[in-house]
Amino acid sequence: MTEAAVAGPLKIAAAPPSIEATDLGWTYAGRTRPAIEGLTFRLEPGRVLLVLGPSGSGKSTLARALAGLAPHVLPGRWQGSLRIGELEVAETPARLLGERIGLVFQDPDSQLVMTRVDDEIAFGLENRGWSRPEMVAGVPEALAQVGLSGFEPRSTVTLSGGEKQRLAIADVLAARPGLLILDEPTANLDPPGMHAIFEQLAALARRREHTIVLIEHRLEAALPLADDVLLIDDEGRQLAFAPAGDVGRDAIGLLERSGAWVPRAWQGARRADERAGVSAVERAGEPAASSRSVESGALLLEAVDIRVEYPADESGKRVALDGVSVSLWAGERVALVGPNGAGKSSLLFALAGLLRPAAGTVRLRALPRDAEAAEPMRDPSRLKSNEIAARIGLVFADPELGFVAGTARDEVSASARAIGGRNGSGIDEPDDRGADGVLARFGLGHLATEIPFRLSQGEQRRLSLAALALRPPAVLLLDEPTFGLDRRGTQAVLTLLDDRRTAGQAQILATHDPRLLPACDRVVALDRGRVVFDGSPDAFLAAPPYEPAGPWRDGVAVRRTDAAGRGAP
Amino acid sequence: MLPAPLAPTRPAFLTRTTPVARLVAGTAWLVAGIVTLDPIVPVRLSLAAIVALWLWSGLPLRRIPGRLAPLGFAMLSLTVFSILLSSANGDRSLATLAQIGPARITGPAISAGIAVGLRVVVIALTTLLVFGPSDPTRMADSLVQQWHVPDRFAYGTLAALRVAPFMAGDWTTIGAARRLRGLAPRGPVARVREAGGRLLVMLVSAIRRAERLALAMDARGFDSGVRRTHFREFRVGWRDWLTILVAVAVAAAAFFVPR
Repeated sequence: MTEAAVAGPLKIAAAPPSIEATDLGWTYAGRTRPAIEGLTFRLEPGRVLLVLGPSGSGKSTLARALAGLAPHVLPGRWQGSLRIGELEVAETPARLLGERIGLVFQDPDSQLVMTRVDDEIAFGLENRGWSRPEMVAGVPEALAQVGLSGFEPRSTVTLSGGEKQRLAIADVLAARPGLLILDEPTANLDPPGMHAIFEQLAALARRREHTIVLIEHRLEAALPLADDVLLIDDEGRQLAFAPAGDVGRDAIGLLERSGAWVPRAWQGARRADERAGVSAVERAGEPAASSRSVESGALLLEAVDIRVEYPADESGKRVALDGVSVSLWAGERVALVGPNGAGKSSLLFALAGLLRPAAGTVRLRALPRDAEAAEPMRDPSRLKSNEIAARIGLVFADPELGFVAGTARDEVSASARAIGGRNGSGIDEPDDRGADGVLARFGLGHLATEIPFRLSQGEQRRLSLAALALRPPAVLLLDEPTFGLDRRGTQAVLTLLDDRRTAGQAQILATHDPRLLPACDRVVALDRGRVVFDGSPDAFLAAPPYEPAGPWRDGVAVRRTDAAGRGAP
Repeated sequence: MLPAPLAPTRPAFLTRTTPVARLVAGTAWLVAGIVTLDPIVPVRLSLAAIVALWLWSGLPLRRIPGRLAPLGFAMLSLTVFSILLSSANGDRSLATLAQIGPARITGPAISAGIAVGLRVVVIALTTLLVFGPSDPTRMADSLVQQWHVPDRFAYGTLAALRVAPFMAGDWTTIGAARRLRGLAPRGPVARVREAGGRLLVMLVSAIRRAERLALAMDARGFDSGVRRTHFREFRVGWRDWLTILVAVAVAAAAFFVPR
């Protein structure tokens, strides 16, 4: 079968190219409005460009254009000129572009092709027609660059999210491109995974062997790596292109108004000591998170000493939760944090009665206004589907998986119909009129007859919340409720959640985003299936119960210190 | 959560063979095991397969019965129905072995039924011998290199296989979402309708995932007009010829040697 491996000389890396865009635009086939329009900038070879803009501003489209996917793979209309080094993208065969350009996507699970790590890296090299000795030399070299040496025989399914994403970067680096494009590479990762990626990126940026284009929402970590920034508004038009330390106040103001996240360093000195998330959300009119006394509300949901295990293969059972106790009172918002695999999803599922713990108990109070009544607390896993729907709602990280209807309007009225008026919260309007009211309140009024799957990411997120608004459950569980949202989208979600909390709803937010913590009353932190912290957000942020603690506090603080001394402000 | 795939735990004779050679060898057994109505042929082939799995496959033998257990039901029901529905039962010249209500059962019906049930065993064990000793990637590599199967088909299928486990997770999530929306089905009709809705959502999600994966493959130069090279090369060697030769001989012996 396989012959003994002979390592050959490494392929010579492509030199880092310059990028020169002149009035660049792209309109997807079937759309009338361009996704990006009139982009004009010049990035010098070996520099790092950070692209900033709100959701839907065409950042990913720019990444696809830079990689030549638009216009060579995706259908649509190209405008203007984009030169990468000496190559005009629209006129260069995809094959030639592929040798010089590498693109890393957001979701690690839909960009890995092979099941073994070494095959995975070799896949891109085989596609480019490398000789076998070149590949044998190139695979370990690429793995070493991302700190995964020795991972060759591992199965890709056994890797953590951060490791998968580092592998995806290695895949791209293996082909030795001069231009490296990363489209939100850390969006799906937990804080430690994100930290590892930014360390790798800092090392790459230091070497200056690649021109790098980085698209990121996690600005506190990304900005220190950037030489230049490109600001795009919500219409895909250029607001500014400037050195990272020298962006005009006007451009920053426009970027903020467009709804994008803006780095803390740009927010001026007036709230220098504040965390980015709090100030960003507060300035946009979000009422400050009041710390409320937990005893004031009634106990709604309680897990006592629960243990959750899954069948594993040889080694017996895999324990997801062990001895976990959590209580939730009416009107409080709890952040649930922890690295991937710590048991956050299992806890959400157990609290919602979707899985029955092997030991311990979960108890749920019927409704907030019944809290003083004598009704005993019940095991949510034993409730009928319509009974549980009146009491607990769960919004998934991927809202699409929760959609049940063909139009946005039906999506909103579906649960209410199933629950019926009896268990409802006193809203006795006809369901359709009620649904339209809810849609309007959630900013979706014009989309009532639209198919839920066709909405944008932010609209889908709001619809998934709207779907629970007609008969609001007493307890709302949310898995990554602001995933992929810009500042405006995050703020919209928090405002909607605030309304319900004021009415006595208890909320649990499972999240990786430290920017959300100040908007919560309490933080519950999990690690390897156990509760390692249960207290105030301030206490959590002051001393996160993880090692290293930095990534949990405020993004990452990887500092770039290269010879030129360009670095963090 | 899906069980981990059955993989070889040690190097063995068959793990050093080319996947397409095992495909040829396995086909010989499948043909011999399926065309016959005499139960002795699948019995002989099953015994041979067990010996081959034990000595030459490198697979952990103890885990095989557990993995094949779901097929036991298929095997049993096939056997029972073949016996009950056999045309030999209508032959008045044959002695009645048993009478279950209106059903009369004859000797030849029982032996033909057992032969049908044992086919399932032969198919399962042979499939394990063909696909077990190497992972699906090797099968795709070998199909492309030896039989010149198009890249797009072989590696596209492989990528689809990698995405499949996520669909299982999506299915669970979708069901959970529906229960919490008050929409868990009650009664068989509602259950079927609900499964249709779930399937639609899962399909949408699978298509989105497939689109992203296809774009990622394109971004890495897949099918961009360059002649693909191979990180792992397969050359047909003496082990492959020996495997085919022995497999054909065993199949012939199982089929032709009288009792």
